[in-house]
Amino acid sequence: MEDKYSSNVLSGGKLGMVEVPNSRLTRYIVLLVVTKVLKALGIFESYDILKVVHIVQFIFILKLGSAVILLFFQKPFSSGKVISKRQWIKLLKHAVFSCVISLLGFFGLTLCGPLRTLLLFEHSDVVVVALLGVLFTSSGGGPSKTRGAALFIIAVICLLLFDNDDLMAKMAEHPEGHHDSALTHFLYTAIGFLGVADHKGGVVLLVASLLLKVGFHTASRKLSVEIGGSKRLYALDNLVSAIVLLPWVIVLSLTTDSKVESWSSLILPFGMIILSVTILEFYVEAICNTKMETPRCARYGAIALFLSALLLANFWTHPLTDQLRSMSKPPQQGSTEHVLSGGVIVSAIFFIMSSSILSSPSKKGQKGTLVGYSPEGTPLYNFMGDALQHTSQSLPRFIKDSLKQILEEYDSRQIFYFLCLNLAFTFVELFYGVWTNSLGLISDGFHMLFDCSALVLGLFAALMSRWKATRIFSYGYGRVEILSGFINGLFLMVIAFFVFVESVTRVLDPPNINTDMLTPVSVGGLLVNLVGICAFSHAHAHAHGGKTCPSNDHGHSHHGHSHSEHGHSHSEHGHSHGGHGHSHGGHGHSHGGTSGHGPPPGSGGGGMNANMRGVFLHVLADTLGSVGVIISTILIRQFGWLIADPICSLFIATLIFLSVIPLLKDACEVLLLRIPPEIEKELNSALEKVEKIEGVLSYRDSHFWRHSASIMAGTIHLQIMAGVVEQRIVQQVTAVLKDAGVNNLSVQVEKEAYFQHMSGLSTGFQEVLAMTQQMESMKYLNDGTCIM
Amino acid sequence: MLPLSVKDDEYKPAKFNLLLKLSGWFRSILSDKTSRNLFFFLCLNLSFAFVELSYGIWSNSLGLISDSFHMFFDCTALLAGLAASVISRWRSNDSFSYGYVRAEVLAGFVNGLFLIFTAFFIFSEGVERALEPPDVHHDRLLPVSVAGLLVNLVGIFVFQHGGHGHSHGEEGHGHSHSLFNGSVNHGHSHGGHGPESKHGGHGHSHDGHEGHGHSHDGHEGHGHSHDGHEGHGHDEPHSHDELRTPGKGASKQILQGVLLHIIADTLGSVGVIISALLMQKYDLMIADPICSMLISLLIGVSVVPLLRESIGILMQRTPPSLDQALPECYQRVQQLQGVYNLQDPHFWTLCTDVYIGTIKLLVAPDADRRWILSQTHNVFTQAGVRQLYVQIDTAAM
Repeated sequence: MEDKYSSNVLSGGKLGMVEVPNSRLTRYIVLLVVTKVLKALGIFESYDILKVVHIVQFIFILKLGSAVILLFFQKPFSSGKVISKRQWIKLLKHAVFSCVISLLGFFGLTLCGPLRTLLLFEHSDVVVVALLGVLFTSSGGGPSKTRGAALFIIAVICLLLFDNDDLMAKMAEHPEGHHDSALTHFLYTAIGFLGVADHKGGVVLLVASLLLKVGFHTASRKLSVEIGGSKRLYALDNLVSAIVLLPWVIVLSLTTDSKVESWSSLILPFGMIILSVTILEFYVEAICNTKMETPRCARYGAIALFLSALLLANFWTHPLTDQLRSMSKPPQQGSTEHVLSGGVIVSAIFFIMSSSILSSPSKKGQKGTLVGYSPEGTPLYNFMGDALQHTSQSLPRFIKDSLKQILEEYDSRQIFYFLCLNLAFTFVELFYGVWTNSLGLISDGFHMLFDCSALVLGLFAALMSRWKATRIFSYGYGRVEILSGFINGLFLMVIAFFVFVESVTRVLDPPNINTDMLTPVSVGGLLVNLVGICAFSHAHAHAHGGKTCPSNDHGHSHHGHSHSEHGHSHSEHGHSHGGHGHSHGGHGHSHGGTSGHGPPPGSGGGGMNANMRGVFLHVLADTLGSVGVIISTILIRQFGWLIADPICSLFIATLIFLSVIPLLKDACEVLLLRIPPEIEKELNSALEKVEKIEGVLSYRDSHFWRHSASIMAGTIHLQIMAGVVEQRIVQQVTAVLKDAGVNNLSVQVEKEAYFQHMSGLSTGFQEVLAMTQQMESMKYLNDGTCIM
Repeated sequence: MLPLSVKDDEYKPAKFNLLLKLSGWFRSILSDKTSRNLFFFLCLNLSFAFVELSYGIWSNSLGLISDSFHMFFDCTALLAGLAASVISRWRSNDSFSYGYVRAEVLAGFVNGLFLIFTAFFIFSEGVERALEPPDVHHDRLLPVSVAGLLVNLVGIFVFQHGGHGHSHGEEGHGHSHSLFNGSVNHGHSHGGHGPESKHGGHGHSHDGHEGHGHSHDGHEGHGHSHDGHEGHGHDEPHSHDELRTPGKGASKQILQGVLLHIIADTLGSVGVIISALLMQKYDLMIADPICSMLISLLIGVSVVPLLRESIGILMQRTPPSLDQALPECYQRVQQLQGVYNLQDPHFWTLCTDVYIGTIKLLVAPDADRRWILSQTHNVFTQAGVRQLYVQIDTAAM
C-alpha cells in the first residue's frame, strides 16, 4: 500500500485523467495530420477544377466516385440488416440535405477561394457545438471557452472586414459567363441583395453552411444508428445523392455547353480529390475518433489543416508549383487568384487558437488528483496547491486586476498613463502612415513602438517589485526595479553609442535629408515627450531642486530657434516644467553635475527609485532626439547646413551618455552589494555604539547592503562575554541598527568558547567538505545531525 | 612598557601616480590566466579594428569604417569582462564589505544584455532586408569577414583550449580522486555531454583551490562548463549535493559571457561568408537576411540561460543548486532539541559557488544555544553554504 502511495505521489498530477501514453498515439496523430494536409491539397485542387467544371457536375462526380469506392469497401447491400422502406425515405431526405450543404460549401469555395473556405468551413463539430454553447446558453463552460468564442468571432470578422482581396472587386462585376444556371444566379442575386461583395457574401454563406453542416451531422446520428454504422450510412448517402443529382446533371449538360476541353485530363485530379477530400478523411477521422478523444483529434486536425492551408495558399500560385502540378491547366490570368492578405493570416491564427481552446475538454469536473484509495475503498483526492484555484482565469478580470494594481501606486500610474499616451501617438502615426502610404512615418512609428518597450519594462518592473517574497526569492522582488533601471541605462548607452557612430560617419559624409515631413512628426513627438518629462520629473525634481535654474541660460544660448516650440508647451505646463523642457542640454549638464557631487543627493531623495530614473532618462533622451531633429531641420532649411544634423546628434549622444552614467553607477553599486552610501555614516556610528554595548567584546563580518528601495539587509557576528544574556544583546543591537536604517538584520551571537570551537572547526572548509563527502558516500549521515 | 600607536591613515594615497597604477593593473591582469587571455584577445581585436579603421580611412571606404566601429563595440564586451576580472579581485573594503566579487556576475549580465541588443538589431535589420533585399556589394565583404572570422576563431581557441586541453589532463583526475570517492567517474564522463560536464567542472574548480595557483585550474574547470553550456542551454549548472569551494579568480559568468560574445561574432562572420558565397555563386539575394535572422535567433537563444542565471543571482534568488537541499536542512535544524521554529530563511549567491545564508531560530529558553548554533552551522555547511548567520531568539514564555 505504501509503495503504491509513494509512487502515486511521485507521479504528480497526471492521475486526474487517464491518458494513453503519447507514444502510441503519435502514429494516429501523424496519420491525421497527413490526411488533413492532403485534404487541404484536395480543396485547392478542386478550386482550380471548379473554374472549368460546373459546380453541380463537380459535386455529382465527387459523390459518384466516392460512392463507387465506398460501395466497394463497405458493401452496404450485401452486409448488415435489410433497410426498410421508411429508412430509404429518410435516407433520401438525408441525401438531399447533404447535397445542399455540399453545394453551399463548394459554392462558397468558388466565391472566396480555398484558403478562406478551409478556414471557415472545416471546423470540427466539437468546436462549433462549444461555440454555440457559449453563445446561446448561460453556462458556456467558463472564461476560457468564452475567450475561444470571442476569438472565433473576431476571426470571422477579420475575414469579413480586414481582408481586402483585390480579386473581389473584379468578381463583383458579375461576369456573365461564369455562372450560368438558375441556381447560381439566384445565389448571386441573393448575396447581392444583402449588400455585400461576393467575397464577403461567400464568407457569410460559408458560416451559414457550417452551422447547417453541424446541425445535419447531429441530426443524422440517429439515422446512422438505425441503419447500422456511420460508415454504411456514408456509403449509402453518397450513392443516393449521386442519384438525386443525376437528372439535374443531365439537364445541365444538355442545355449548356461545357467549357471543358477534355474530360480525360481531369480524371487524375478528380481521383485525387475524391480520395483525399471524401474518402481518406472520413476513414481517418473515424479511426482517430475511436483511438483518441474527439476534442484532441479535432484540435490536432484543425491546426494541421489551417497551417497547411496557409502554406498552400502561399505557394499554390507560385511559378515553381505550377510545374509540379498534375494538371496542365490553361494559362489563366493571375489576377483571379485570391491573394494572401494580412487579415487572412490574422484570422487564421485566431481560428487556430480558438479551435484549440474550444476543443479542449472543460475542466469542470476535475478538482483534485486521485491519490489512491483508502482502506475502506473510498477514493482519496489530493488537492495540490493550485488545484483549488487553478481555473483558467478570466481575461477581463485579469486585466481589471492588473489595472487596479497599476493605478494603485504613483510610479506605475505615471508610467502607465505616459505609456498610453505614447502608444496612442504611435498608433496615430502608424495609421496616418498607412493611410498616406508614407514609409518614413511607418518606420518612425515602429521606432516609437520600440521606445515603448522601455516604458513597458519600467511598468512591469514597477508592478513586479510589489510581488510578495517567495521561498525562492526570499527578499522579495524589489531588486527588479534596480535591474530595470540598470537595463534601461545600458540600453540608452548602447543607443547613444550607435547614434554617435552614425553621426561620425555622417559628419564625414553628410547625406541629403528630406526635411519636409520631419518637422510635424518630431514636434508631435516632442510634445508627447514633454508631457512625459513633466510627469516623471515630479519625483525627479525633488532630488535636484533648483539646480535646473542656472542651466536655463545654457538652453537659451543653444537652442535659439527651438525656443518658439518650447514656448507653446511652456505656457501649458507651468513654469518649472518649462524649465525642464527648455534646456535639455542644461538638464543633462546639471545631472552630470550632481553625479560629480557624489551619488547621495541623487539617490537619497525622491530619485531613489532607479526604475523611474531609467524611464525618465529614456524619455529625456527621446525628447533630446526630437529637439535635435527640429533644430537641425530648421538649420538645414534656413541656412542649408547639412552638417547640422550629425553635429546635433553627436551632441545629443554625448548628453545622453553623460546623463546615464550616474544612474548606472548607482545601480552598479547596489548590485555589487555596496554599503548604501547614504547611510554609511550612520552605520559607522551605529557600529561604534554596538561595540560599546555592555557585554559585547567585538563584532566581525558585518555586511550591510541595500536590497531594494525599502529593504536594507544586514548581517553581523557578535562576540560576547560568557555571562551575558544573549537575547538582550540581540535586541539592543537590532534596535541600534534599525535606527541606522537596517530593517532586515540577523545577528549571530557567539560566546568565546563557541568561537574557538568554530575557528578550530573551520580551519579548513575543505576538510569538512571532504569528511562530509566521505560520510555521505558511506550512508553515514542518514540518521542524524551529528558528525563532530 | 612600549608605546603603542595605531596608524590608521597609513594608506593615504598621497600621490596619484598614473604610471604606477597602470603598471599595477597591468601586473594584475597578467597575473591571472583568465584575464591574461582576455587581455591578449582584446589586444588582438583592437589591433584588427585599428587596422581596419586606418585602412578604411586611407581607402576612404565608409563600410570599412563603420565595420571597425562595430568591432570597437564588440571590444566593449571583452573590456567589460577584463575589467570585471580585475575588479573582482579587489580586496573588500569598508564600503564593499563583500568585496567586488559580484562584478563578475554583473559583467556576465551586461554581456548577455549587449548580446540580446545586438541580436535584436540584427534581427530587425534582417526582417527589413528580407522585405526588400538591398544590393550588397559582395566583392569587399569576403576578405574582411574572413579576417574577422580568423580573429574570432583564435579567440574561441584561446578560451576553449585553455579549458579543454588541460582539464582532461592528469592532475584533474588525481585531485578529484583524492578529494571525493565518487567523483572520478564524473570527471571521466563529462567529455562534452551537458549534464555530466558540470561534475567535471566541479572537480576541477576544487582542484583550483586545493592545489597550486588556483586561478589556473579554476579557469579550466570553468572553461569546461562552457562546453556544456554551449551545447545545451545549461539549466542548473550544479547539482545540489556537490560542495565546492569558489574558484575566486576566474569566474564562470565572465567567461561564459565573453565566450558567447565571441561565438556570436564568429557565427556572424560565418553567416556573412556563407551568404556572400551564396550571393556570388547563385545570386540568391535573400540568403543574407535569412542568414542574419537565423544567427540572431541563435544568439538570442544561447544567451537566455546566462541572463537567467545572472538575473537570479543579482536578485538574491535562492541558489537553484540549493533548492533541493534546503528543505531537508530546515527539517534537520528544526528537529534539533530545543528549536521551536525557523524563521526568515534567506539564502543567496554572492558569486559563482559562494552561497550565503541567514536564518533566525526560535529556541526554548532552556536550550543549549551553543550546541544548536554549531549544529546548525554543520547542517548548512554540508549543504554548501559558505557563510551563515544564525540569529537565535528565545521564545517568549
